[in-house]
Amino acid sequence: MTDRPSILVPIRVLEGESIPEGVPELLANAHVVLLGYHVIPEQTAPGQARMQFEERANQRLDEYEAMLAEAGATTERRLVFTRDGGKTIDRTIREEDCLAVLVPNATGPPEDVLVAVRGAVGVDRLARVVAGLFGDTDASVTLYHVAGEGETDDDVRTLLDGVVARLTDLGTDASAIETRIEHDRGALDAIVDAADPFDAVVMGESDPSLATFVFGMPADKVAERFLGPVLVVQREPATGDDER
Amino acid sequence: MSDQRVGVGTSGRNVAGEAPAEEPDAVTDDATVHDDDVELERTIGLVGGLAIGIGTMIGAGIFVFPGLAAANAGPAAALSFAIGGVIALLVALPTSELATAMPRSGGGYYFISRGMGTAYGAIVGLGLWLGLVFASAFYLVGLGHYATAVLAEVGVALSFDPVVAIGLLFGAGLTALSIGGTENTAKLQNGVVGVLLVVLTGFLSYGVLDAVGVFGGGAVPETFFSRGHFPVLTTAALVFTSYLGFAQVATVAGEIKRPSRNLPLAMVGSVLVVAAFYVVTIFVATSAFGADRLGRFGETAMVEVAREFLGLPGAIAILGAGLLATFSSANASILSASRAVYALSRDALLPRRASEINLRYGTPHVALLAAGGPILVLVATGQVELLAEVASFLHLIMYGLICVVMIVLRRRDPTWYAPSYRVPGYPVVPGVGALASFGLIAFMQPASIGVGVAVMITSYLWYRYYAADVTLKGAVRQ
Repeated sequence: MTDRPSILVPIRVLEGESIPEGVPELLANAHVVLLGYHVIPEQTAPGQARMQFEERANQRLDEYEAMLAEAGATTERRLVFTRDGGKTIDRTIREEDCLAVLVPNATGPPEDVLVAVRGAVGVDRLARVVAGLFGDTDASVTLYHVAGEGETDDDVRTLLDGVVARLTDLGTDASAIETRIEHDRGALDAIVDAADPFDAVVMGESDPSLATFVFGMPADKVAERFLGPVLVVQREPATGDDER
Repeated sequence: MSDQRVGVGTSGRNVAGEAPAEEPDAVTDDATVHDDDVELERTIGLVGGLAIGIGTMIGAGIFVFPGLAAANAGPAAALSFAIGGVIALLVALPTSELATAMPRSGGGYYFISRGMGTAYGAIVGLGLWLGLVFASAFYLVGLGHYATAVLAEVGVALSFDPVVAIGLLFGAGLTALSIGGTENTAKLQNGVVGVLLVVLTGFLSYGVLDAVGVFGGGAVPETFFSRGHFPVLTTAALVFTSYLGFAQVATVAGEIKRPSRNLPLAMVGSVLVVAAFYVVTIFVATSAFGADRLGRFGETAMVEVAREFLGLPGAIAILGAGLLATFSSANASILSASRAVYALSRDALLPRRASEINLRYGTPHVALLAAGGPILVLVATGQVELLAEVASFLHLIMYGLICVVMIVLRRRDPTWYAPSYRVPGYPVVPGVGALASFGLIAFMQPASIGVGVAVMITSYLWYRYYAADVTLKGAVRQ
């Protein structure tokens, strides 16, 4: 059995967000970091919200934890009262060293998984997530790459073969892996269209460029348009990262 | 990441049978950690902290006091502001040390209740709440003066004096806005502070160049101590209200990121910035007109100063800035007062219900009303100087005790007391800070002292009645 990849599942616990159907099965082989968070307005002290809502939030998290554990996942959980959900999620990823974050959406039993491979960077973490979650299951994995300009089929095949090799190294059955190459399309649209028949999507976190800063992270947009769950594999944490 | 353990314990129950909420287990750079993995995220950075401090302070000293101060002390009013600034700095340093040792929300009240016990805590905590109520009322009356001047400028004639009515309107409006859950008020506050600093810097640069004679008249006509030396101190006592903002940073200490670095920088930095602006403003204002004429212009004297230098556009710019500044100070004080009510209710000194959160908006409506209600009553009095002095009095008591607590804790040196910032010049700095804070009270009007003492006595009696069994003092846990 491979190492359990640690996956962050953030839930806005007091606003009706919950663990959707199929997600516990999807994460059966994961170490789930269950993050319940509640965003409060500025007029309210975080401690004030805690006094009033802690009990209710913990009850919900108890339920979710039990669901995940029943499916086979190991779990760990946190409850955070915050003014800035994004900061809380980023901090938890860093502190718990999570490989990927799940954008939870309902799904069926995970049979077909689409894995969007962007490039050689981050392939190792991507492979660890995919092999860890689906290596021991019957799910089939489709590696998908949208070729950019000046990228030949041979280049792409080398890239994808490298990922296949890595996955089989990690114990995935080679017969469960397919590869697909797409040309001449915007990567985002291509992924969303291709994802339709699949049960879940695994993709890398994109670089924080100006476009993603303005328009939001592509992974979020994929999650918004693809109605199933999306696992966003996180970049390698920068070492010696001194914020502010 | 610094991970600081917390060693303060509370016990006891109040009349309603409520116990103080338990203390957190640890504080880190990013969160306050309670048992079984419940965390409170820290989300305010250094800029946000500075904006809270400067945004609360920058209003009164520049936009309400110059005329009043010049009438009392002459050109030496600039010295009065400098004295206020020095005292504020002497208190900001010990407050910084305590805040890095106890980066939890509640500010001065928290330090004093944990360092000296519940009775002192109750007096200071209830005093802080009411002190902020008096301060907000004062800012709102100032806002009323500015809005009235705007009406006069655009030629609207009213058959009555609208100052108090406008103050009431804005007071009610701000309270309703906070309860209704305005988004992004902090960002708005940062923007307002930025605009204010730009407008003021431009205006003051021009004024200083004019006053020293680069262009224009270049007259500093009067003798500096035109009213004698004593009024300098009474004026310092009056205008100290202008420096009440830095401690507001400590009231949100639990939400400041990297508290050991950002808390001292935000508090000391905001005092230095604001003090510099105040002293220069008074210098420019008194050299433009002379103290006598300035004094006759009253609360909106700065508008006339701007008109003198830059004509109508200058007057309009300062009117706008004055509205923004008094608005921002009043808003900040209402929010701080609500935080004070929460801190008291958390510690069972007020009913737990007082910190209840509105399910619809997620805002603490009871605490906000407990701030907004009394503010309206005080605004109705329209007494600028009395409101300002009572606010100063209640804060000065707290500031003096903060210095005392710091000395007490350093001497007792409990194991949990491990500040990452330590005041230089101990024990002289906190000692002088305490003496100066208490000493400044002696120069206030008897009426203000009377109201302040009455508030303190009432607070003590409330504590004896409601929460005599509650213990908040930091016990040394082994």
